Amino acid sequence: MMTSPLPLIETQHLVKRYGDKLAVDDVSFSVYGGEIFGFLGPNGAGKTTTIKMIVGLLQPTSGIAKVGGYDVQKQPMQAKSINGYVPDESNLYPKLTGRELLRFVGDLYGLSRQQTERRAEELLRLFDLTQAGDDTIDSYSHGMQQKTALAAALVHDPKALVLDEPTVGLDPKSARLIKDILRQMSERGAAIFLSTHILEIAERMCDRIGIINQGRLIAVGSMEELRRGSSAAAGAEISLEDIFLSLTGGAEYAEIAEVLK
Amino acid sequence: MNAAQELPVTVLGQQSLWEVVWKLMHLRLVILVSGFRRAKLRNKIMMIILWLLLLGFLGFIFFLSFLALHFLNSPELTLYIGDVSPWLEVVPALIFSGAFLGLLLTSFGVLLQALYLAGDMEFLLAAPIPIRAVFTAKLLQAILPNFGLVCLFALPVLYGLGASNRYNFLYYPLVLILLTALALAATGISSLLVMVVVRIFPARRVAEVLGFLGAILSFLCSQTGQLANINHFSPNQASQALGLVKMVNTSWSPLAWAGRGLVNVGKGNWLEGGGLVLVTVILASLVFGAALVTSERLFYSGWASLQNKSRKKKAPRTAQTRAQTYIIPVAERRTPGTIRAIMMKDWLVLRRDLRNMSQLVTPLILGVVYAFMLLRNGGGRADGLGDAPAWMAGMLKNLSLYFSVGLALFVGWMLLGRLAGMGFSQEGKNYWLLKSAPVSIGRLVAAKYLVAYLPTALLSGVFLLATWMIQRAPISTLLYSLPVIGLCIAGNAGINLTFGITGANLAWEDPRQMQKSASGCLGALASFIYLPVSLLLFFGPPVAAMAFELPEIIGQMVGLVLGGVFSLACAVVPLWLVSGRVARLGEK
Repeated sequence: MMTSPLPLIETQHLVKRYGDKLAVDDVSFSVYGGEIFGFLGPNGAGKTTTIKMIVGLLQPTSGIAKVGGYDVQKQPMQAKSINGYVPDESNLYPKLTGRELLRFVGDLYGLSRQQTERRAEELLRLFDLTQAGDDTIDSYSHGMQQKTALAAALVHDPKALVLDEPTVGLDPKSARLIKDILRQMSERGAAIFLSTHILEIAERMCDRIGIINQGRLIAVGSMEELRRGSSAAAGAEISLEDIFLSLTGGAEYAEIAEVLK
Repeated sequence: MNAAQELPVTVLGQQSLWEVVWKLMHLRLVILVSGFRRAKLRNKIMMIILWLLLLGFLGFIFFLSFLALHFLNSPELTLYIGDVSPWLEVVPALIFSGAFLGLLLTSFGVLLQALYLAGDMEFLLAAPIPIRAVFTAKLLQAILPNFGLVCLFALPVLYGLGASNRYNFLYYPLVLILLTALALAATGISSLLVMVVVRIFPARRVAEVLGFLGAILSFLCSQTGQLANINHFSPNQASQALGLVKMVNTSWSPLAWAGRGLVNVGKGNWLEGGGLVLVTVILASLVFGAALVTSERLFYSGWASLQNKSRKKKAPRTAQTRAQTYIIPVAERRTPGTIRAIMMKDWLVLRRDLRNMSQLVTPLILGVVYAFMLLRNGGGRADGLGDAPAWMAGMLKNLSLYFSVGLALFVGWMLLGRLAGMGFSQEGKNYWLLKSAPVSIGRLVAAKYLVAYLPTALLSGVFLLATWMIQRAPISTLLYSLPVIGLCIAGNAGINLTFGITGANLAWEDPRQMQKSASGCLGALASFIYLPVSLLLFFGPPVAAMAFELPEIIGQMVGLVLGGVFSLACAVVPLWLVSGRVARLGEK
């Protein structure tokens, strides 16, 4: 793995407040080139809000989000140019075809017509969407839409890739393809920031993991570092699930199991 | 556990078909009542007022029908125009036919929504309740709103007819029974039609097409008054129209049986009337029952859910067809790539989404209707009486083309309201793609501006050119009017886009919720004020120049400067004021 000394994605004391509610509270972390960073947390912990601030969809109440060293608020064009984003819900223009969408995204990111055409064809082939490329997106299945969203994020060959739950609703083959692509991109020096609920993916794929709970980043580190810092249980066999539940509170899960007995 | 064994299941009370139907219908009632209870006080008051108005309307139609039919039956009138009772006896058949056709068509949309788009069918079919109950409830739900509307118009007229003709008391309940039976039959047939259509086309696409056709038809209907030449309605045409009415009352039509049966019962011809009513009710019930069973089977077997894939698959786009998609005018090629990309994307999406098309086609129809009217009236030339001074005759002639400019702007104004007013809102949940891309606010606003401006300017320009050709006005007037149109629309586009930004709603599910109503109204109001002011600035000086017998060209130059500065200021300043908001769109 090739890891760059410069963080490609960085947050410094990021805060987002909605009225009285503190959605993200003083979150700071860095993701370096060549690294896959897993971002975990229970529902409503602030994962998507953090991601939206990193990709420039949401203005932070305070703090800084940087992509490639550029402040997303002050130099949004530069930051967005090197970033790719896959949202949790792939809302894509339903009346465009997959091919038209990729061309459109290529144009938005300033690629030449030839580059866009070449990348669009490559990505459609890679994601097995060549046949469906001329169908409108509203006729795609959820998995196809998810793959199209990922293809759109890759059109401009981003240096930083932010993905919010990228494998939800995908068949095993597509999920595996996405994991392989992410691994390849990180090997080529891109920074991957990945939010997921599937702990097995995070455990197997991510070089470092950040856990957010109630808006606060409560743990950051490699699996080894998380294991060492965890109070869940002693020994090397401790899983990410144990760490996650011990950090975010697993009492409610025991209660659910009791009810279902 | 081997295969022969069964899990011990406690069925919590065997529920009958009608019990479940009632539960499902009751659920709708609960949702309706809950919606009313949770509504704001203002909305509650509005709803109550609306209901009272509806009741008043019902009473008014009854009273009006009673008086009109009483008058038509009066012996004094019979002396002049002869006996009209044979015509009046056709009224029930006419109303039943209209109601049946109306319900058949309107139920189609409601059933499409209820069976395919509501998304609760799978949930309901998976529940331990009879499938027939689900379908019965769905069909009844589809009937009720449209049946209510039909009753609103049909009942007062039919009761008015009964009262004015002093029909037998049995006539009144039979009206309701026959209307209900025919409504059931119409909805049953409609449910089968929905399934056949959805077998061929995707349900969402059908809904889009329906919305499009509905909007166009209602607009066309609203304009028929303009197109129809009522002043020249001849007695011959009147008798042809009456002949058409009589055709409804043919002996083979079950809808006519209902009408005839009802009239006969009203008159006391029990055997003939009762027989016809009974046959109609039995036939309608059979149609409803057969349709219910068939639709239930078609749905459950998967026939109605599985789209027929045998239709011709779209050929993949060749290099040539791809190139055609990207054939764009030279003017657009000169725009930066991101602006061009957004423009192309917006026009492509607008063209493909029929929900947008219905809003866009409206101004075109309006343009055609008014152009037709101008043509019919001989081009609207103001020739005067012959004794007016030459300058006055010339001024009137030019004024008529200046009036066409106003008309062209009005046509464009309607298009702008949609294209600019909803330019940002139409992005909806897809806005993240634009926002996360490296597109500056300036370029984004410029792209949205051009998306609205170019087609509107083109449409208004073509409209003006057409009316100029019809009116045969001087070329100098056209040469002046064309830049006026361009500048006027520029300002109007700026105003509409500004209000589109301030009232942008990106969280819509239904396109009708695209723009917040307050902002939409303010935008329409602002542009409505803008248009006469700018027209006054553009056309005031040339008209004044003509009035003072100065060269028209001087007045036109002054008008162009005054109006141009005003229009360009309106195009730029409001947008500049709200550009900060664009950066924060979609962050709530």
